[in-house]
Amino acid sequence: MLRRFETYALAPGASGDAVDRLESAMRCCAAHIPEVLDSAVGWNGSDAPVQLVWEHAFADPAAYRRYMAHPFHATVLDRFILQDSPECVVAPDTLGAGLVGYQLTSPRYRLSSGLRRLVLLRLDAAASPGAWGALGRRLAALVGEVAGMAVSVPAENTLGAAWFDGETPVGPPPRWTHLWEQGFTSSAALAQYLAGGHELAAVERAGTEGWRQWSGGMVRRTAEVHYGIVGPGG
Amino acid sequence: MLRLVDTSEVETGLVDRFLSLVRDLAVPVMTDAGAELVSCAAAPPGLGEPVCVEVVWEVADFETWNGIRRALVLDPRWYEYGSAASALRSGGRRRFVVPVPWSPRPAPAPPAG
Repeated sequence: MLRRFETYALAPGASGDAVDRLESAMRCCAAHIPEVLDSAVGWNGSDAPVQLVWEHAFADPAAYRRYMAHPFHATVLDRFILQDSPECVVAPDTLGAGLVGYQLTSPRYRLSSGLRRLVLLRLDAAASPGAWGALGRRLAALVGEVAGMAVSVPAENTLGAAWFDGETPVGPPPRWTHLWEQGFTSSAALAQYLAGGHELAAVERAGTEGWRQWSGGMVRRTAEVHYGIVGPGG
Repeated sequence: MLRLVDTSEVETGLVDRFLSLVRDLAVPVMTDAGAELVSCAAAPPGLGEPVCVEVVWEVADFETWNGIRRALVLDPRWYEYGSAASALRSGGRRRFVVPVPWSPRPAPAPPAG
């Protein structure tokens, strides 16, 4: 499977009506493109410079390629997000997370309702895959250790570079090399985790320097977005 | 066959700059990416409303457009055009349309310049 996130900062002066149409296009995309799975839209509550987040998934790269070339993508979604479109309502991406995502074998990210959190990690270029593997396993284990944490999926940001076909890197390497996708049962659960005594909560409270120390210098930079997930009935 | 129709609303005093931007930057960026310029037309000025500028591009199909979009996203000039065009127009819309079978197909516009 491919798990994918798009994050957007709204252009100054973008009309509320146009932004509503973009959000609506994202929300109803799966009705037009059945390859789009587990689609949800949220408004970022962190201080990262993005407002709108669209999360979704695809069964495989072939499904992703059908989405990329689908008329709804070109005619409706891109109308609001391509920088040269007269109807563009988004600003250039300064966070470096306009499109990020990863591969996985089963939809372990699923969260019917609650709060989604995506921690963006930039690892040192010299970090070995083995070192990341150990760190990733430690992050994944949090789902059984932190009350209210329902999802914890660390992964390499493979889609950041392979955004065109889901497999082949194009363009420069992504700013954020790795992702840590989380799901909490509620915003209160996230707040309790961040304020609590867990080892990783202390690391996160200390910010990038905390990550550097905890990871032995492997994590060089971090950022995060979080937003509420509304269930299918909401 | 697929046409991309960009309609921009531009204040009268900015129309010349906008048209120059389309000619000097959008046309080379889009044609290098694989799109073909069909036409560029502007409403008469002096109507008491922003001038409507319509630029029409032609591509084979959505699969082809997907490749063009890839080339655009990787081209720094495309971002330069997007930023400059956004600063000059006050509104507009983008639509893809498919010519109906009985529609005549206009000849492509001659090279700019």
